[in-house]
Amino acid sequence: MSGPRGISGASMVRLVAAREVAARVRDKNFIISSVVIVLVLVGVLGLQVAFSSGSEEIRVGLVGDPALRAALEQQGDALAVDVRVVELDDGAAARAAVEAGDVDGVLVLDDGQEPELLVEQSAGGSLQAVVQGAVAQLALAEQLRAAGITSLDVPEVSVTALDPDADADGQRVVVAIIGVGVLYSLLILFGQFVAQGVVEEKASRVVELLLATMRPWQLLAGKILGLGLLGLAQIVLIAAIGVGGAIAFDLVDIPGELVGTAVSVVVWFVLGYAFYAAIFAVAASLVSRQEDLSTVVMPTTLVLIGAFVVGIQASADPGGALARITSYVPGLSPLVMPVRQAAGDVAAWEIALAVVLMLVAIALIVRLGGRVYAGALLRTGGKLKIREALNAERA
Amino acid sequence: MLEFDGLHKSFGVNHVLDGVGFTVAPGSMFGFCGSNGAGKTTTMRIAMGLLRADAGEVRWRGRLLDQDVRRRIGYMPEERGLYPKMKVGEQVAYFARLHGLEAAAARRAAEEWTERLGLAARRGDAVEKLSLGNQQRVQLAAALVSKPEVLILDEPFSGLDPIGVDSLAEALLGQVREGVPVVFSSHQLDLVERLCDSVGILARGRMVATGTVDELRRRETGRLLRVVVPDAAPRWAGALPGVRVVSERAGDTVLELADGTDDQAVLAEALRTGRVTHFAWQQPTLVELFREAVAVPTAQEVAA
Repeated sequence: MSGPRGISGASMVRLVAAREVAARVRDKNFIISSVVIVLVLVGVLGLQVAFSSGSEEIRVGLVGDPALRAALEQQGDALAVDVRVVELDDGAAARAAVEAGDVDGVLVLDDGQEPELLVEQSAGGSLQAVVQGAVAQLALAEQLRAAGITSLDVPEVSVTALDPDADADGQRVVVAIIGVGVLYSLLILFGQFVAQGVVEEKASRVVELLLATMRPWQLLAGKILGLGLLGLAQIVLIAAIGVGGAIAFDLVDIPGELVGTAVSVVVWFVLGYAFYAAIFAVAASLVSRQEDLSTVVMPTTLVLIGAFVVGIQASADPGGALARITSYVPGLSPLVMPVRQAAGDVAAWEIALAVVLMLVAIALIVRLGGRVYAGALLRTGGKLKIREALNAERA
Repeated sequence: MLEFDGLHKSFGVNHVLDGVGFTVAPGSMFGFCGSNGAGKTTTMRIAMGLLRADAGEVRWRGRLLDQDVRRRIGYMPEERGLYPKMKVGEQVAYFARLHGLEAAAARRAAEEWTERLGLAARRGDAVEKLSLGNQQRVQLAAALVSKPEVLILDEPFSGLDPIGVDSLAEALLGQVREGVPVVFSSHQLDLVERLCDSVGILARGRMVATGTVDELRRRETGRLLRVVVPDAAPRWAGALPGVRVVSERAGDTVLELADGTDDQAVLAEALRTGRVTHFAWQQPTLVELFREAVAVPTAQEVAA
């Protein structure tokens, strides 16, 4: 007997997966879709940055009394404007800084003279308000001190928030919707990739050559795994850009929870992908031509769309009966549970239950679907019924 | 030895294989003939594990074919199949890896075989860009790249032009010289006759004849005798014992002799009629043998 030809099932799966990855990363459609997704993401981040008013920043130069620095920053806080104070040496440096655009304006305080605000053209509303307020505050304090009044008895207004987390809640939901949207798009995209790959092998008849060297489950597992790794890489990339960007540009008040939601979306992607990829693969194995593909994957696609709609609905009413029930249902849970998790009112046992149900469903589909797949692969021509494929498997 | 032993297979009520068995010695070429639907492809698919036999088994060197043994078999399916968008070189290397070669060895073997089959310039092209003939060569490269111990080829010559036929025949003979048993099916019986050491004829799921082409001939030879006697009267041989006249036209006579009949007595009778311009046992071509073997079903076969 010759050579070391024994190959384990695992290395067979690895070979198939490696081919899938290599073939896909060179595929134009894949490259284009990846680039588009990243561009859209960056675009959304850019818009958010452009429109978010909370992060207006004013750079104020200051010549003279350093005590004004604190006053300026205090005024900024009061007016919800970020004030950056740059201390400058004299009037000449002040002019240079304004002309160079390093600062929006310079407050010049020469002893004995009126305070002066140097700007290039005109002072924007908040710049003038901040400076005016700071100067007034300081002057008021000085005059009070001169008058011998050291402390003023000003009643402080106490604030009672009726819904202190309203803003944060809103952000959580928005983050969850974005996450579910990404999840849904990638499930559809990679489900299609799996289905097309299966039909391609059947249509080109290469599958007969493949099955002479490996078992159907190895082919199925390798294909799902290879494309799944690509999908995972893509969703992790998207999550990293999205979360990183949101935190870097300070778009959210809840960075910790944002990361948590992103992680749960990634985990649910893995489960959802395993579920849908197996179904797509099995459905695709029933036909022999790309043209027939859409009819067999349609039902699964509809389920996915339904899950997406329910997921969006759940973001409006995360505690409602619909969201609650569907978050346990395998196939729907990947698009509903992350929303409930983001909204925060879900118990650990509920998540565990949804995950377990999902795993059970995946195991069943892989077992049964694997048999359909094995029976259908060598039957070409026309569209096969699932029952025929199951019978053929025994052939 | 590559042994096909008592293969039975039914699809529903359709009994496709009914005890198919034959043996192929290492370093010999076996031609597998049969009409369409006779069960050739089914037999080969069973050998490759693509179908499960209802009964019977296929062995190589006494060992039942399993996934590990099959990895040492080069296979060309009847339905040609390659990844259309994959590059030639990568594709051949991929199949080498599926047959158990390490990455580096697979790359080397792919280079060697694309070179040997005249595809060196097309290594970087997608398979779908190649002509059908060249695609067929890639298919052959995929079957040969892993240095298989056995070759099983389903209709490897179909769709090839005469030059393609010659180069494929050359490649297969090369494999045979290296000691590889080669089984291929074909409708081109002249080709089978020219290339094969032994032949099997399959009809309605049974092997109706196996052996070397010579053996098959000899079975038929000794039965049909052609005698040309231009001056003889009609029915000149009709009275000879043990002789049946198959055909007779202007002295060109084909006779069927029963076992034990003396051909020299026939010659003597012929000479009595005058000139004998031709006296020889008929050498049936494989085509004739094939027609003979396929055409006459036994009662049992008809029942099946």
